[in-house]
This record gives sequence, structure tokens and C-alpha cells, in this order.
Amino acid sequence: MNIISPQFSPVADEVVAQHGTRPIPAKPYYDAAWFELEREAVFRQSWMHIGHVCELPEPGSFIRRELEVLNASLLITRTKQGDIRAFHNACTHRGTQLTDDAQGKRANFLCPYHMWSFGMDGALLSAPEFERFHVEKKDCALKSVAVDVCAGMIFVHLGKSPPDLRAWLGILADQMETLPVAKATTFSEYSYTIKANWKLTYDNFQENYHLRFIHPRSGQSAFAPENPFGYPKDYGFHDPHRTQTIWTNPDPKPAPLLVSAFSRLVPHATEQGLLGTPYGRQYFALFPSFFMLGTPLQNFVHVVYPISATESRGVIRLYWVGDDVNASERFGREVILATARDVHAEDLNVIEAGQRGLSSGALDHIHFQSQEVLCRHLFNMVEQAVHQHLKDRERA
Amino acid sequence: MTGALPAGFETLEPFTAIWAADTAQARADLRSDQTADARQAFYDAMTPQLHAALDRLDQTPLAAHDDAEARLMRLALSYAHIGMAIEVQGPDEAKHAASRWRLPITRAPADA
Repeated sequence: MNIISPQFSPVADEVVAQHGTRPIPAKPYYDAAWFELEREAVFRQSWMHIGHVCELPEPGSFIRRELEVLNASLLITRTKQGDIRAFHNACTHRGTQLTDDAQGKRANFLCPYHMWSFGMDGALLSAPEFERFHVEKKDCALKSVAVDVCAGMIFVHLGKSPPDLRAWLGILADQMETLPVAKATTFSEYSYTIKANWKLTYDNFQENYHLRFIHPRSGQSAFAPENPFGYPKDYGFHDPHRTQTIWTNPDPKPAPLLVSAFSRLVPHATEQGLLGTPYGRQYFALFPSFFMLGTPLQNFVHVVYPISATESRGVIRLYWVGDDVNASERFGREVILATARDVHAEDLNVIEAGQRGLSSGALDHIHFQSQEVLCRHLFNMVEQAVHQHLKDRERA
Repeated sequence: MTGALPAGFETLEPFTAIWAADTAQARADLRSDQTADARQAFYDAMTPQLHAALDRLDQTPLAAHDDAEARLMRLALSYAHIGMAIEVQGPDEAKHAASRWRLPITRAPADA
């Protein structure tokens, strides 16, 4: 009997060569001046993922989120009418931050300094002795920020003329709407801070070249003799975003714990209709620093938030549809959380080692091989945005 | 945190004093803080009973679990972390723990 083993061929080098083959300048991965340009060129000009509608379950719900890269503290609220709004966390009287609570539910925001009170729609409701001011209440509403939702996920845009979110996401918007995240009602979350540039950090998660070396145990299902580096089956380029379709190992040999978890999760996920999504093997890399893989039993979102040229923080969430329905589901979700966290724990040290090498200034260039094309594409998109920003600035 | 478990799971009762921690972060910490021998003993005791325990717990809605059932649930949740140490990291577990603390768990549905 012949045993035919499935053959795997990575995406051909000439196909990805359209994104260039040049060495990439090293400086943008550590230089503070370049990072200052990125703040305005990249982060102020992009929709940024900041939360999920399940965090704002009812009128009066709010979350506070810090966007260090734009030096912003934001309040995202659910109004009486059920709309989602976003505002700067700054009293319009003299700038005082209204709250340092991370989330909550309330009828209004009361400034601790002089008791100005704002509704969840941002309107100034009352202020002591307001008649002594030389301004009208309607001109004192909280400064609003553009906010929109796709696939249940809340995005904000701090630029002057934001494009329509769905137009900006293109065909990826509808694809993401098919994933569990779009129906999620709760999530697990863990986070990290890292002494590394946001691109260097993000790049680690958009190439598989390192998997066999850095994740020999936790990542063993991701590679096999026929695909020793676990390269993806396909790439998609949707400027400024990109995708990869992850390879399915025909003989994954998962740990018994994971087999137990999946067997405990599948019955309810089947009832919920979560198993049929056509995009469950597609890795969504939204510009500038958002990832999502929406497999039916572990829909994770990972966002890298820059703090400085050489420091970032990451937030990883596993989104779940419905509260834990029973002990089996609760157990399965805890296993998925532990599994994902184990993998991410293995990446941090090696990314920081990369940063130390780059920050020394020893290298003029870094290099991406053809199967690191997503890293190259990110740099191309960032560089393009920075050049455009410089041109616009000159013109102004 | 010590105490009785539902009938049929008495052999696991010696483990409740340590392993019935009530948040995901506390369970992750137990994995790192307990000795390799303690992890192995808990793993060996729990493995043959895991599915029976979950089947038993599934008979009652989570919110209606009594103290003994809630305790058994927490043992199963600790097993989720210990299984990673034993089955996946194996001899690399100590080295792995040195990075894991950098990823605090800020939310889990089981904590609610």
C-alpha cells in the first residue's frame, strides 16, 4: 500500500517579490525622531482597535482607554439612546481628566475639580456658577473622537478627516463579521509590556520563520516535516492591511490537555453555529498594529500599542460567544487561555534581544526573506505613510 | 479553600488545600510557584478523573454549584494550567515560568 503524504509548497518567491527585495533600513525600528513621525503619519491617520461592544452592555456603560502613542486618554460610552460615542477624557473647563476608573456604569461624568457634569453623550449638563463664564453650555461638550464598530470591535480615529471605517477595512470588514468575535459577549485577557519598538514586536507575530526555534514545544502543531517552518498557505495584501492563511497540519499531535479542551468546547460551539466560518484560518493583520485569528474555538485578537520608539505594550484577548454555559466550556476556555499565554510568553525575551541589537546602532539594514513578506509589507506601508506625511507637511 | 468534594471524588480532597484557587491568575501563579513534584502529584491524581469530574459538574448549572462542586470546578481549572507544564513544557517548565509572569491575566470568564 502506498502512503501518499500531502505535499506543501509555500507561496512562490517571485509572487511575493512584487513587494520588493531591498534591505530595510534599521533606524525606523529604534529611532526616536522616526517614531515622532509615525505618531502623526501612522497612528493619527488610522482607525485603531480599542475595545468591544460587549464592554458597553447597557446605556451608561463606559470604558476608559489610554492611547500613549497619541498621548490620549479616551472615554468610550453607551448613550441613553444606545449609541456608542468616544470622547477625550478631559473636562472642557480646564482640562482635568474626568475619571481614572477603567470601566463602569454611570449617569454622568462629574469633574472632581469644579463639579462640571457631562452626559454619556458628551453634553455639558451642569456647572456651578456657569452664568459667570463667557461661553455657552452647548460649546462646552466633551471633545468627541470618531468611533465606529466592525465585527463587534470598537475602533477610534483621532485624525482630522477619518475615512469611513468599513471602506478603510475593505473586503476584510465583511470577512471579520463572520467570525465569533462579531457575536462575542465576553472575553479572556492578558497583557504585557515590552522594551521593543512596536514594529519589531508586531513583526514577530506575522512571520512563522521563528516558530520551530522559539516555540519547539508549544508550537509543535504548527510545523511538520513537510512544512518545517510552518509557512502559511497564502498571503493577501489589502493595503494598508494584509492577511495570511495559516497552514493546517494534517497530523498535529496536540497535547492530551488540548484534545480534552476541544472535545469539551465543540458541542456548544456546534450548537452556536460557530464551526462553519470560511475565514477561520485567516490571520487578519490590520494596519497599523492589530492581529486577529478567528478560529471557531479560539478567536484571539492581539494589539500592539506603542509607548515610545523602544517600548510597547500588547493586549491579547480571547473572545467568547456567551457566558460559560457549563463546567466543560469553562474548563475549555481556561485551557485555551493558558495555551495562548504560553506561546506569547516565549516571544518576549527574543524580541527584546532584537531591540537591544538594533538600538545599538550597529546595523544599517535588516533583511526579510520571502516568507517574511508581511513584515516587509508593514514597513512599506509605514514608510509610505511617513513620506506622505512629510510631503503634506511641506505643502502646508 | 479546603473541604469536601462531591461523592466519588474523595481521592482528590487532599489537593483542594492548594489547588482550588479561585481566579485564573491565581491558578497560573500556582503553576509557577508549586514544585515540580507537587505539580506532578496533582496531575497524576486529576488526569484519570478529569472527564468524570466535568461530566458530574455539567449536570448542574454553574451558578447553582454548591461549595463542593465549585471546589471541584476550581481543581479542573487548575489542571488546565498544570497540564501545560507537564504535557507541553516538560523539562523546559522552569525556564518558561521565568517569562510567563510578564503576561498578567487581567480577565477570564471563570473569574466573574
